[in-house]
Amino acid sequence: MNAVHCQQIEKSFGQGETRTKVLRGVDFAAAQGEMTFLVGPSGCGKTTLISIIAGLLASDAGSVSLFGESLCSLSARDQILFRRRHLGFVFQQYHLLPSLTAAENAAVPLLAAGMNRKLAVKKATELLGALGIGNRADAAPRLLSGGQQQRVALARALVHEPRLIICDEPTAALDHKSGESVMELLSSAAVHPDRAVVVVTHDNRVFRFAHRIAHMDDGVITHIESPGNQI
Amino acid sequence: MTYVAFQMLIGDRAKYIGLLFAVAFSTFLLQNQTSIFSNLMKRAGNQIRDVTDADVWVMAPKTEYFDQTKALQESDLQKVRGVSGVDYAVRIFKGLPIAKTRKGQFAACSVLGLDDATLLGAPRNMILGNWQDLWKPNCIVLDKAGYLLLFPGEELKLGQELELNDQRVKVVGISDALPAFTTFPLIHARYTEALTFQGRQRQQLSFVLVRPTVGTSPDELATRIAEQTGLMALTTSQFQRASVVYYLKNTGIPVNFGITVVVSIIVGLVVTGQTFYLFILENLKQFGALKAIGVTNGSMLGMVLFQSSLVWFVGVSIGTALSATFFNISSLVIQLRHFIFFWESAVGVAAFMLLIIALASSAGLMRVIRLQPAEVFRS
Amino acid sequence: MKIKGLILPTVAGICLVYAAVSIAQSHPQRVLTDPPKAPPRTSFAHTIAAVGLIEPSSESIHIGSHRIGVVTKVNVIAGDKVAKDQVLFRLDTRDLSAQRKTALAKIAQATAESRTTAVLLDQARRRLKSANSLTDPRALATEERDDRASECARLEAQLATSQATIALAQAELETVETEITRSTVTSPIDGTVLQVRVREGEFIEGGSSNDPRLIVGTIDPLHLRADIDEFEIARLKPGAKAIASPRGDAERKYELQFVRYEPLVIPKKSLTGDSTERVDTRVLQAIFRLKNPDDRLFIGQQMDVFIESHPRKSDS
Repeated sequence: MNAVHCQQIEKSFGQGETRTKVLRGVDFAAAQGEMTFLVGPSGCGKTTLISIIAGLLASDAGSVSLFGESLCSLSARDQILFRRRHLGFVFQQYHLLPSLTAAENAAVPLLAAGMNRKLAVKKATELLGALGIGNRADAAPRLLSGGQQQRVALARALVHEPRLIICDEPTAALDHKSGESVMELLSSAAVHPDRAVVVVTHDNRVFRFAHRIAHMDDGVITHIESPGNQI
Repeated sequence: MTYVAFQMLIGDRAKYIGLLFAVAFSTFLLQNQTSIFSNLMKRAGNQIRDVTDADVWVMAPKTEYFDQTKALQESDLQKVRGVSGVDYAVRIFKGLPIAKTRKGQFAACSVLGLDDATLLGAPRNMILGNWQDLWKPNCIVLDKAGYLLLFPGEELKLGQELELNDQRVKVVGISDALPAFTTFPLIHARYTEALTFQGRQRQQLSFVLVRPTVGTSPDELATRIAEQTGLMALTTSQFQRASVVYYLKNTGIPVNFGITVVVSIIVGLVVTGQTFYLFILENLKQFGALKAIGVTNGSMLGMVLFQSSLVWFVGVSIGTALSATFFNISSLVIQLRHFIFFWESAVGVAAFMLLIIALASSAGLMRVIRLQPAEVFRS
Repeated sequence: MKIKGLILPTVAGICLVYAAVSIAQSHPQRVLTDPPKAPPRTSFAHTIAAVGLIEPSSESIHIGSHRIGVVTKVNVIAGDKVAKDQVLFRLDTRDLSAQRKTALAKIAQATAESRTTAVLLDQARRRLKSANSLTDPRALATEERDDRASECARLEAQLATSQATIALAQAELETVETEITRSTVTSPIDGTVLQVRVREGEFIEGGSSNDPRLIVGTIDPLHLRADIDEFEIARLKPGAKAIASPRGDAERKYELQFVRYEPLVIPKKSLTGDSTERVDTRVLQAIFRLKNPDDRLFIGQQMDVFIESHPRKSDS
């Protein structure tokens, strides 16, 4: 089953004369157990598309279903709860809370779900260990390197075992080596038979990690390629 | 998430301290100003409050405040005694003679002439000497501030002499009488002697002081005395209030202080509100990330409320402690003696700060609630 | 796990407690006190208050003198009990004694004169009788007999004059003696000497009682004269109970027995010891008897008086 299934998504921004159509009928799908890349030039509508997939934006037309569930049919609150339960995010700028430790940052989704703080932090710490930065669990984000921060962000995306992980330019702020290792971790830790991973990137050095690459331009998916996953 | 909110708040030490400082400073400023103002105005009624032997003051009709008296007739005392519900009624004289020292220092003094038979109204709080010595002839009790005014640079000691209307009197006690609104030295003397300080006047009875019998409330009795004697009768607190109101209405002090208080309020509002609002704005990105992750608006509200309550609690507590310290210290200064930190001011300002922070945080909160979580994807 | 950042909230908590304690401690408590000495209090539910003076039941009798003169002897001191007509003091009577002697001498002289006249009258009568017995006109001339009759009449008149002179001198004597009696001042009543302001050797002008030289009065029973404000007259109860306590000693209470009212409402003279007396209202004076006075009460003492009364209309 497709984890993500989008049909004819349309989205415009602005009003009147300045109104620009960003998405012009996008069909997009991502399968469980796969890492799907969404690539294309800046301003082609990648970010808008994943925002809509994640439920952070409402589309003007078309339908989005996640794991067979139509997002549009859910109430605003249920959308948030759905997101909290089933989605994980990795942002380009990490968006870690500077005042929390690495482990605490990673534990935020668990805390948001109401888990006891000690338990959540313990779980997050274990995960950080699995991602290779267990020794920095108590460090503040500003003391970590970019790669380390992105790993913490990755842990945050994984800690509550979501079924869909959305990564927005996860390597754009990193040097090549760190980006490589983050992608390696992503493909090893995140890819799971029950989970779909959508990565927005235009870093072609990491294309090889993709199971499938959807090329996007000017508001539509132009073509999809399956490079065959050789890690 | 409370923990996350807490860490977010204290994470940026500089901002956190700045925020607390703003709240604490505004709190201190407001409490300080309102309390000093209230203390100052309250002085207008202090001499009334200081007579603890009576609950009702009987005076000439149309009396507006304590320092403006029209003498009663001696027979009015008997009339008041004839009102049922009066436990006792005793006369008191209030005059404003000039006192001169041997060295030539002089000052107008507020003299209370206490009934010779009972010494009702004697100053109970003494720094030096005994008020009981007022029974002796030509003896007076002077308040400490008055002493320092009349005998500048001299240490407090008994036995100093003053000349009042060619009468030589001896200071047998230095009292800690509650300060009056005016800076006149306060003298307690016996009625018949106080009359001679003033020079001849046709009538000299300033007030009749009354205590109600058990089971009669002062208010009830005051109303009854006024009805039955045609005189004006006020309870201690009514008379105090009337005197304070008189000064509020007829002096520029309230306007002056009012402006200060308003400025303090504005400064408090701007500094505190602005700082707190900015604090939320600066964390908007973090809030956005949390929102994307799936934190509900309800939790956001809880977080902001928690942060604002904490800032309020810590800031106001520190500010209040500063104010308390200020008043603890200032009470040692003779000019500010008996200035107290009104709990009403403490609580009122705390409530006001709560309001300001609530306003600021709700303004910030609106931004958080309206925030599009999709913003987080824009780097 | 330890949560950092709890220091400031903890400090704040301490601050709050400190501020609260400071406020609580510095907040002045207005503790009601009782007057140093108890003020006068009524014993009645409805009362008229007045000021009264203790006076003798006879009122104060200001003893004066009929005569002016120098005091030679004062027989009493203040506080003495005196009986009616007991001598209080005497004035110098030496001038009167001299006048008395003169009067006595006048009496003696007149008496002697009258005796002489009586003897001569006897003789003249005898001679007239013998003349009348000689019926012969030739034995004695008629003229001689008429002369003898005239002599008789003259002497009778002279005798009457002498006797009148005696009476006059005696009257003079009595006048002087009355004056002598009046030089001794006695008590008009059984009572007590309240004040003696006369000393031996002093000159008394007599007359005015504004400056009494000696005051006598009956102090058993003692009376109290209370000034009741004219506005309160309506509330007076006939024969009402009343109590009085001395100024400055309100704990002592004396029961009063109503005696009478003064019929005249008079301008009130201030009794409250001020430097100037002045009229501020009119008062009805009520006289009470002190039921059980003790030796701590004195004439002229000011008392706070409470008289049981009718309630005011507005009293519930």
